[in-house]
Amino acid sequence: MMSLLGDYTSSKLSVFPKSASSFSGESDWVFHFISIVCVIFFIPIAVALFGFAWKYRKAKGQPADSQVDHNTTLELVWSIGPSFLLVVMFYFGARGFLDMRSIPEGAYNVGVDAYKWGWGMNYGNGVIHPELHVVAGEPTKLTMTSKDVIHSLYIPSFRVKKDIVPGRYNYIWFKAMEPSEKVMTDEECKQLADKDKEDNLSWDYDARQCTPDGYNFYDLYCAEYCGTNHSEMQTVVVVHETQEELDAWIKKYSSRGDEPPAAYGAKLYERRGCKSCHSIDGSRLVGPSYKGSYGTMRNIVGGDQVKVDENYIRESILNPKAKVAIEQGVAYQPVMPSYKGQLSEDDIYSLIEFIKSLGDPSATEPEAPADAEPVSVE
Amino acid sequence: MSAGSVPSGYEVNDPGYPTPQENYLTNSKGILSWAFTLDHKRIGMMYLIGVTSAFLLGGLLALGIRLHLFAPDGILFNNALFQWLAPDKAPNDIYNQVFTLHGAIMVFLFIIPSVPAALGNFLVPVMLGAKDVAFPRLNLSSFYLWVGGALFFVMALLASGLDTGWTFYTPYSTTTDSSVILATTGAFVLGFSSIFTGLNFIVTINTMRPPGMTWFRMPLFLWATYSTSIIQVLATPVLGITLLLLIAERTLHIGIFDPEYNGDPVTFQHFFWFYSHPAVYIMILPAFGIISELISVHSHKRIFGYRFIAYSSIAIALLSFIVWGHHMFTSGMSPITTIIFSALTFTVSVPSAIKVFNWVATMFKGSISLTTPMVYAIAFIFLFTIGGLTGLHLGTLATDMHLHDTYFVVAHFHYVMVGGTVVAFLGGVFHWWPKMVGKMYSEAGGLLSAALVFIGFNLTFLPQFILGSRGMPRRYATYDPEFAPLHQMSTYGALILGVGLFVALFVLLMSLVNGKKAPANPWGGATLEWNCTSPPPFYNFERPPVVGDPYEFGDIRWDTELDRYVKVEPQRERVPSETPAETPAHASE
Repeated sequence: MMSLLGDYTSSKLSVFPKSASSFSGESDWVFHFISIVCVIFFIPIAVALFGFAWKYRKAKGQPADSQVDHNTTLELVWSIGPSFLLVVMFYFGARGFLDMRSIPEGAYNVGVDAYKWGWGMNYGNGVIHPELHVVAGEPTKLTMTSKDVIHSLYIPSFRVKKDIVPGRYNYIWFKAMEPSEKVMTDEECKQLADKDKEDNLSWDYDARQCTPDGYNFYDLYCAEYCGTNHSEMQTVVVVHETQEELDAWIKKYSSRGDEPPAAYGAKLYERRGCKSCHSIDGSRLVGPSYKGSYGTMRNIVGGDQVKVDENYIRESILNPKAKVAIEQGVAYQPVMPSYKGQLSEDDIYSLIEFIKSLGDPSATEPEAPADAEPVSVE
Repeated sequence: MSAGSVPSGYEVNDPGYPTPQENYLTNSKGILSWAFTLDHKRIGMMYLIGVTSAFLLGGLLALGIRLHLFAPDGILFNNALFQWLAPDKAPNDIYNQVFTLHGAIMVFLFIIPSVPAALGNFLVPVMLGAKDVAFPRLNLSSFYLWVGGALFFVMALLASGLDTGWTFYTPYSTTTDSSVILATTGAFVLGFSSIFTGLNFIVTINTMRPPGMTWFRMPLFLWATYSTSIIQVLATPVLGITLLLLIAERTLHIGIFDPEYNGDPVTFQHFFWFYSHPAVYIMILPAFGIISELISVHSHKRIFGYRFIAYSSIAIALLSFIVWGHHMFTSGMSPITTIIFSALTFTVSVPSAIKVFNWVATMFKGSISLTTPMVYAIAFIFLFTIGGLTGLHLGTLATDMHLHDTYFVVAHFHYVMVGGTVVAFLGGVFHWWPKMVGKMYSEAGGLLSAALVFIGFNLTFLPQFILGSRGMPRRYATYDPEFAPLHQMSTYGALILGVGLFVALFVLLMSLVNGKKAPANPWGGATLEWNCTSPPPFYNFERPPVVGDPYEFGDIRWDTELDRYVKVEPQRERVPSETPAETPAHASE
């Protein structure tokens, strides 16, 4: 029966997304078991309900054929009988749940930093990236914390979910079973990324169904309501076939290398969540736009003015609530989390260079450095 | 007399129609006679108007949600009109405020007071053969607390909206800049309204049952109301305290729930659901009571398994206090706690299932009239059964990890709350409307509304089960394109559901204009409210009604000459002091 259900769930009309972790088979099997029990109970109830309503309808004043008002045996049977099925459901549910809560020793650990509204997956050695990359067939443990409010990490294809509560670590583990495929070559990816850069767009995961590195992916959602852009707090999971492949991917993002700082800063801007609150085209989002901001004077809460220079930007990254900007008489909400310990000195330097590259008022046209590399990662 | 031969020593009891001086709607005039009324029936009518207005507002917000979700990036709150109305608000923010207010208004202003406060107020004393509730002044004050709470919600809406979800989860609710304090104050005040109503009914049912009406000769609607009242009185204070703590944390920065002040956000969830899970049963238990009455009366057959139904109401009320943790299965509670809550959750399904079996068994070999209330009651059983069964997927831990906080949950609780409570409420309103206003409505119109509500509701929420199992998280202002077809089905369904509800409202209002006069007992019910005129006189009963079995239909006869049901009861000696002459003296007090 399980294999039959397995075939069914992989079809396009399935009630489930692709089954891709070691938990999903069990979870789906239990779901279908409960559903079948429900249907077995529901059909007779519905048939009796509509059948009686039709069969026993009578003209006004006709007495009922029976006035039987109890049958203790029958009532005890239908009260106690189904309880055994409930015990079975409970048992399978609890068994599957305990598996999900028993994290195996030596699981590959990835840190997860959730914030309004994005994800930072921490692979160690300063590599933090919004995408979650794991290895197929190996248990992965996520050590999760939130910088602001409660979030929840949800990967439908893996059938796992766990809230991420500020002020404590919550853990989740899974074993991904179906590796992602490389569906786009590096050249194609680069071409698309270049085009995005020209059009001032970011990588469209949904439309392209692949990551900027060319892999297809599984969706990862925030499942606990967290404010304005809750529904956009999404990222992807890429499952690599081997640890070597994963390590190579991590290495690719491990440091700036010999890339120019402004170009690397542009990548960090996309990758580290700056983008969700700060525009680079001058529009007002949750935080001030970077465009043309460098070198200007800015009003801050408390009545002072401050010049947007290296020190101010650095302070705003490490201690965002110290000097909160006011624009057109309206203060921004002090909601940005601190990036202390999250960004290296070189990262901060690169971001400052990136902001500088977006022009200051003395220059007429904001101009990216000629040698900047295209932004390739969200 | 075509009602069959009346045995000797028996008489036909038919109260006829009330005079305008007796009729509670017309016995005193002017706005003040309503504003300061202590008459439970008038208070019930005022509640009915109030909760219907709240339902209308909450329903319009729901239509806004569904229209916006017609396309993956939204089509309503990001269009030019809304950008012009609220230029400084992002479309996502508008969506978040709309779904929050939809939930908060529907829960606090509509569903919780709907059946107990509106129908319950009208019916509890009449079903007891009493003149009023135990504490009429407390009753009126509970209505004005409801109005006050509603005003706080309106103020919150007009000030800066509310975007926390109706659950007010911390630390989001302690850090957002929307009107959390106004809204929680509103919920706090509404809590007192609910406590007052519950207290009043507990005392009324305990002390004012007429001679002969033992606990097990009470109509099941009263059992349901009694169970509900117990929950209202015991659970609501916890919500009040929790909301006060929330306000204290927001204003004084006392660390209770916010980790920034060394609080614990999960504690808030425990406190909140300790009230709000029992509150789910505040919402559904009275609906069970309505359905027990409707199914029995319109099948003209004794209710099957009276004691099982009555005990199951009490069982549900008690069990409802120990299952709150199932709202927090993914919050990171310890595995053992989680497993215990899962096991307890399964126990609640048993008494609910018992009721469904008993209702269907009641219809077996009955004499069923497919009237509007009966059709609503049948729709209720169908929809509530789906709602209840899909709860099993959520109570089971392994599957809940996948389904928690998805549209599966949204579909599940709408099947219970709308397919259940709202449909039962509509059925109850159609059932008792002739009693409340003294007018019959158009049966064809009523049946049309039931059909539209049933079709529209299923089209709205069945697709949401699949959305959820496919992984669509709830409370999303935008979504991945793969979910679009199911969302569109759901939106079409919501429009049909909306039309159905407006038809119901129209049919009821039209009855006031051109409805036939309602007889005392239009359906052939055996409970006491059918013994007084429609609408009841100010003091409900001209002479104390004879308390019989509430489900004994043998002495209710259809009289073709009079074109109505009449009751055949033993002749009573008329003592002079028992004549109605006494009644007006009370009325002028």
